[in-house]
Amino acid sequence: MIEFVHVSKSYNKGRIKAVDDLTLTVSPGEIFGFLGPNGAGKTTTLKLIVGLLRPDAGTIRVNSVDNQKDPVAAKSMTTYVPDTPAVYERLTGLEYLNFIGDVYGVPKAERLRRIERWLDLFELADAVGAPIQGYSHGMKQKIVLIAALLPKPRVMILDEPMVGLDARSAHAMKEMMRTHCAGGGTLFFSTHIMEVAEKLCDRLAIIHKGRLIAHGTLDELRARDREDESLEKIFLELTES
Amino acid sequence: MKKYLRLVRAGFLANFGLAVLRPKYLRHNRRDFWLLPLILMGLAGLVPVLIYYLKGIRFTYGLLAPLGHQAALLTFAILMGQFLIIVFGFYYVLSAFYFSRDLELLVPLPVTPAQVLLAKFTVVVINEYLTASPIVVPMLVAYGIHSRAGLRYGLTAAAVYFLLPIIPLAIVSLLVILMMRFVNVSRKKDALIIAGSLILMGGALGLQIWANRMPGAGPGKEALVAFFSAGGLVQKVGAKFPPSIWATQALAPGPESSAAANFALYAGVSILLFAVLFLAARTLFYRGLLGLGEISARKRRLTREGMAARLSAGRRPLRAIFLRELRIMNRTPIFLLNGVLSVVLIPVIFIIMARVGGAARGGDALQIILLLGSANPGGVILGSALFMTICGCLNGTAPSSFSREGTQFWLSKVIPVPPSDQVKAKFLHSFAIAGLGIIVAAVAAVVVIRAKIVLVLIALPIALAAAAALTSLGMIIDLLRPLLNWTNPQKAIKQNLNVLIAFFVDAGLLVVLTLGGVELFKLGVRMEIAVGIIFLFLLAMAGAGITGLMKMAERRYRDIEA
Repeated sequence: MIEFVHVSKSYNKGRIKAVDDLTLTVSPGEIFGFLGPNGAGKTTTLKLIVGLLRPDAGTIRVNSVDNQKDPVAAKSMTTYVPDTPAVYERLTGLEYLNFIGDVYGVPKAERLRRIERWLDLFELADAVGAPIQGYSHGMKQKIVLIAALLPKPRVMILDEPMVGLDARSAHAMKEMMRTHCAGGGTLFFSTHIMEVAEKLCDRLAIIHKGRLIAHGTLDELRARDREDESLEKIFLELTES
Repeated sequence: MKKYLRLVRAGFLANFGLAVLRPKYLRHNRRDFWLLPLILMGLAGLVPVLIYYLKGIRFTYGLLAPLGHQAALLTFAILMGQFLIIVFGFYYVLSAFYFSRDLELLVPLPVTPAQVLLAKFTVVVINEYLTASPIVVPMLVAYGIHSRAGLRYGLTAAAVYFLLPIIPLAIVSLLVILMMRFVNVSRKKDALIIAGSLILMGGALGLQIWANRMPGAGPGKEALVAFFSAGGLVQKVGAKFPPSIWATQALAPGPESSAAANFALYAGVSILLFAVLFLAARTLFYRGLLGLGEISARKRRLTREGMAARLSAGRRPLRAIFLRELRIMNRTPIFLLNGVLSVVLIPVIFIIMARVGGAARGGDALQIILLLGSANPGGVILGSALFMTICGCLNGTAPSSFSREGTQFWLSKVIPVPPSDQVKAKFLHSFAIAGLGIIVAAVAAVVVIRAKIVLVLIALPIALAAAAALTSLGMIIDLLRPLLNWTNPQKAIKQNLNVLIAFFVDAGLLVVLTLGGVELFKLGVRMEIAVGIIFLFLLAMAGAGITGLMKMAERRYRDIEA
């Protein structure tokens, strides 16, 4: 579960409000899609959850743990996939995964089983022994994704996870998202791909200029306006100004 | 031309991080105000060196002028300047032309390969003016003053300096372009950088040894005169690289026609080589470049057993972070050269220099040191400790601990490991490298200075305590202002201001401690007590440094936004 309580974050000494008084709860077992135009505050919100940024005001709780008061406990339940996969390029894929296993404390047998499973699913087994430096953008995206899955976290935060993935890997990714949430995990992700959000998400939120302008299930969002509108149309109407 | 100038401007802004000196920057970044006096202090620290150099020039000029050999001073300065340009140029050119990440942005732009390459060449040339200036500019100015030269000398000297980097850099650039075009080095980029750097270091060392063994090498007026006279070392080397002789003849007093002809030769060859570089840029540059950035991941499927053998078990973040630091440091050539290799090589170079250098001079120096050592074992202990500390600590490892993570710092912020534990692992890594340098230096102290092993063993814990203090200080400096937004790893360590700041702080501290030690001996404090006081002081400093570092880590990891 993720709870935002009156969370605000600004840049440039308060001149740019990236997130403005966000209050929102994401329940366990939910795939939650976070939509918004470029610069709306999506990535900032995601970074606030994982502790990459500090909120100016408000509280963020991950499974009831305040991520400012007990950051290590909050982090041990959370993993994060950023929009640009900046990883340790001088390590091999396996060394990187082992590093993640070490810092999250994944037992060896479980580590091996999970790594094998995800490497096969994302078709990365052939490259895992090679330095990440030689990986393509998509391969780097996959290794970060596998690293995020390895600790079997209760909360996963993904920033534009589909970007750079081939069709087969994108499909595997969607399957993974469903499996993760079916087991009681929470998944909070940002995306620009309306189709993905429409088909995959249990609930959605739309953020614009740092403010939450709508949230709910797709049906609830449709009910705000006219029936049978596509998410794309709803999104365009809500973010028009 | 417009595009070329814009590319030069972009390259200049990206390469010279001078924003800190701009009032606008300081208005918005008040935290960095403290840097300004430090930079000024650093520059002020160079003034005595400059004065010493100018005095040396005056003295040598006075010796050579009656013999009519004073112009050899110019040859010497120009040769040294061009030698430095070649040494640093190889690395600068290779990095700027082929291994710089901005190429991915520049190649698709509507600019010609020649414009890209010449813009990069221009930025390297500007860099090289700075490299050569400490040796060449004072010499040109001092020579002009001593010889009471007029306007013609001033203008020619300015033109000679302006053209100084062109010939050596054009030669280096052409060699690099040809090498990259015809040798497939894309897979061996890292090995190439390390091998190239080691060859250059070896070359510089070899030159030094050769110079030491030349007749006339050594202290004393006669040797100095022989060094600069006709048939001396300067003339011999100058004959092998004639541009320095042409430049000297253009500047030295003599018939105007001869000066003009030599300057025309110097300028003409510079322009000719620049033109050849232009042609090579048009035809060869992109061909050597294309495909270089892509290193395909070699397929290396691991068996289940192979994978299991490589995996560890359970939660052990300290070990994991230590290993990560070790692997990244040792696998990134520029980090390796400034870390492990430098701490091993500096004492080794010292050994070679003392062993292979002029036998008489080396012997004299050793005799003096041994004599001092037998009379003052306390001095040997503290001197050895100082030598070991310098060898182990005056490198970029600790003050780039956080900067080296660069854009990957986000990982350190999201993993569930307390910052103090992460910093502990980083400290152990930096301290291990310092320890390695200290041990190699201890061996050097025993082998070269022939210091008694027992005295070096006593010095060892003092050096280790100093290393702990300096490592924590270096890390604190980097933690206060980490440089995380680099694209070229060179910026994280070699062009990182934190490394320079730490160098000044460390050097200042070592000077104060050395003076403190000397004062204690002067006051007649017993050797054991003086050494003990310094050891305890260093231990206390190390304790305070490490404690401060751990405390600061919690706050800074929270505040640094990645």
